[in-house]
Amino acid sequence: MTTDWHIDPGLIEQYENGTLVPSRVMAVEAHMLSCAACRALIPAEDAWLDDSWSAVYDELHAPRVGPVARLLTRAGLPGHRLRLLTATPALRWSWVLATSAVLTLAVAAAWFGREGSQAIGQAFLALAPILPVIAVSGAYGPPADPMHEITGTTPAAGPGLVLWRAVSVIGVAVVMAGVAAVLLPGPGWYAAAWLLPALLLSTGTLALATSLTLPVAAVVLGALWLTGVLVVARTAEGLFVSSVFGPTAQLAYLLAAAVFAAVLITRRRRFDLGESR
Amino acid sequence: MRARRPVSDQSSDAELLRAIAGGDTAALRLLHHRHAGWLRARLRRRCADPDVVDAAIQDTFVAVWKDSHRYEETTADAAAWLWTIAVRRLLSALRGPAHRWLNGAGDELPDVTTTPSAEELVLLGVEHGALGPALDRLSPELRRLIEATALDGLSVREAAKLLGIPEGTAKTRLMRARIRLRELLT
Amino acid sequence: MTTVTLQGLGKRYGTTTALDAVDLSIGVGVTGLLGPNGAGKTTLLRCLATALGPDSGTIRVHGLDPAVAAQRTEVRRRIGYLPQNPGLYPNFTAYALLDYVAVLKEITDTRQRRAEVRRVLDEVELTDRAKTKVRKLSGGMRQRLGLAQALLGDPELVILDEPTVGLDPEQRMLFRALISRLGERRTVLLSTHQTEDVGALCERVVVMSGGRVVFEGGPRDLAQVAEGQVWLSETPPQGNAAYWRNADGFYRTLGRRPDGAEPARPSIEDGYLLLLGNVAVTEAIR
Repeated sequence: MTTDWHIDPGLIEQYENGTLVPSRVMAVEAHMLSCAACRALIPAEDAWLDDSWSAVYDELHAPRVGPVARLLTRAGLPGHRLRLLTATPALRWSWVLATSAVLTLAVAAAWFGREGSQAIGQAFLALAPILPVIAVSGAYGPPADPMHEITGTTPAAGPGLVLWRAVSVIGVAVVMAGVAAVLLPGPGWYAAAWLLPALLLSTGTLALATSLTLPVAAVVLGALWLTGVLVVARTAEGLFVSSVFGPTAQLAYLLAAAVFAAVLITRRRRFDLGESR
Repeated sequence: MRARRPVSDQSSDAELLRAIAGGDTAALRLLHHRHAGWLRARLRRRCADPDVVDAAIQDTFVAVWKDSHRYEETTADAAAWLWTIAVRRLLSALRGPAHRWLNGAGDELPDVTTTPSAEELVLLGVEHGALGPALDRLSPELRRLIEATALDGLSVREAAKLLGIPEGTAKTRLMRARIRLRELLT
Repeated sequence: MTTVTLQGLGKRYGTTTALDAVDLSIGVGVTGLLGPNGAGKTTLLRCLATALGPDSGTIRVHGLDPAVAAQRTEVRRRIGYLPQNPGLYPNFTAYALLDYVAVLKEITDTRQRRAEVRRVLDEVELTDRAKTKVRKLSGGMRQRLGLAQALLGDPELVILDEPTVGLDPEQRMLFRALISRLGERRTVLLSTHQTEDVGALCERVVVMSGGRVVFEGGPRDLAQVAEGQVWLSETPPQGNAAYWRNADGFYRTLGRRPDGAEPARPSIEDGYLLLLGNVAVTEAIR
């Protein structure tokens, strides 16, 4: 059904500034629903339309903010910083899931095979420090990051970005290993004994990475650690834990970590792609 | 990649909505540019806060994108369908404590009429018959209830929520409004 | 106006010399870097893009020296770089990828960043594909996305390494249109080994060979290099001259005039092939 009555500009103006009597308002609105031509007469500024559309477009296309991200943002980490970290190759879910699966298995094995739990606990001590090293090897640069060349030539690139990523990855790995350590049966101090070796290996990897690539540095240090641990385990079986994780050893790890940190700080510029070498 | 004819300014709302259901952003943009203006004008009469209105309009088109396949299930005219969504988006935005509906002579409530002929009837009655003066003489609280249900297409329950009155009261008022209108029209 | 100045730029990989004392200045507009594989094009672009530190020589971008760490960051603010293998994360959507690079380019304010992402998506005509994952984009679209990330932050210098490789003719056309639009007010430096690209969109050509710049000038000047050395004949020329049969059935020869041949108008490709020397010529047409 059509009518030959249409809304004129005067009526629209009255409608918009609210000077129309209620029944006319209802008439205008009822008519608007059925008449495309009169709808099109309602003015909308281009700038407003663009803004409104942009908001819709962003809402539909911008990446979703996950619950973890929201939590971190609330904890004070700015959104843009979070973007940088979430693109870290080693922080993908696949990596996090794989690591936690391995740790869960270790804990489960220790609980179900009680008689072997002593050995598993010691194996955990020996292997846990490697976890952050594996993680950090995928934190930056080739081959872990295929976009390395683009990332490395942006103003955000350089030692700052490398360290941010390394620290966040190491942090996640340490938290996961820490949870596993607490859940493991065995002497309570096991839960913390691996922390200093982990710190040493992580800073060492980063310091070494100022000359080698991150993955190579990680492999070198990881292999060194494992060989050392194996040698001690072979030669002094009964004294394994006390010699590798005893107070003297721990102090040595701390000192060595400090040395590596110093090396890292003085040579940090080498992380930049654009440095001549 | 897409076999469908590309949408343009000339496409009908239904064509746009079909393209939107197929994931065409350009179609959504056209639909937005075609309808956002009048939706805003109408929503603004129901809510004094322009930010809330703008947010409701954005929500509306986000909802259209996600629910465009539902459009074809109804036989509603696209504009009426959009209005249904928009007014309910505004409603849910307004549930928060900080906002209030406009009060006063010129305001109404959400409307969603899925049967255009009913609107035409109202229109004819208002413009050419005795309904206009009758509505104007109705007390504002009764009129707003009529508007919310008859014109904005809300259920009595939604209308009650909107006006901040219990559902039972809304029902009684609506009945009184009908009786009063009948009196005024005879 | 000169944007980029290179002086005595040198770079070696082990015993291989990739760049051998390159001097060059580049200004606003599209400059094409032409040369065979291994000529040093990528090394030059990587040095300029601050992805590589040169062994010797100096680079100035808008007067800034990328060898100095503090100025390097400033240089990076002014460049957009599309590497030969951009390695765009396959699981990111186009929008998310640009959003990420925009953060790397220090656009920290969310509103501003989103506006910028929308702007470059529009510029490369990918607005409708923003939600598509990189791995589902066609080759041409992926390349345009790569260009879009280079354009974030509106850089004054845009460096594109082999941007038209692997594109079908239609996509290449679209890409050329985009690039020439960029060149209206920016300095665009692109490498290619296709002379058609150069003829179609470059105002200036730099030909590289063996780590050196062997030619610098306009596309027409490059064609001019072969002036008087291109010949058409009805019968195959004698001797071991480089020649091929063109679409009209004539034999086209580069170099000395064969018996009974008529001079022909040289093309950009003729000039390029002659510049690279006879070895390259025979290789190129074989």
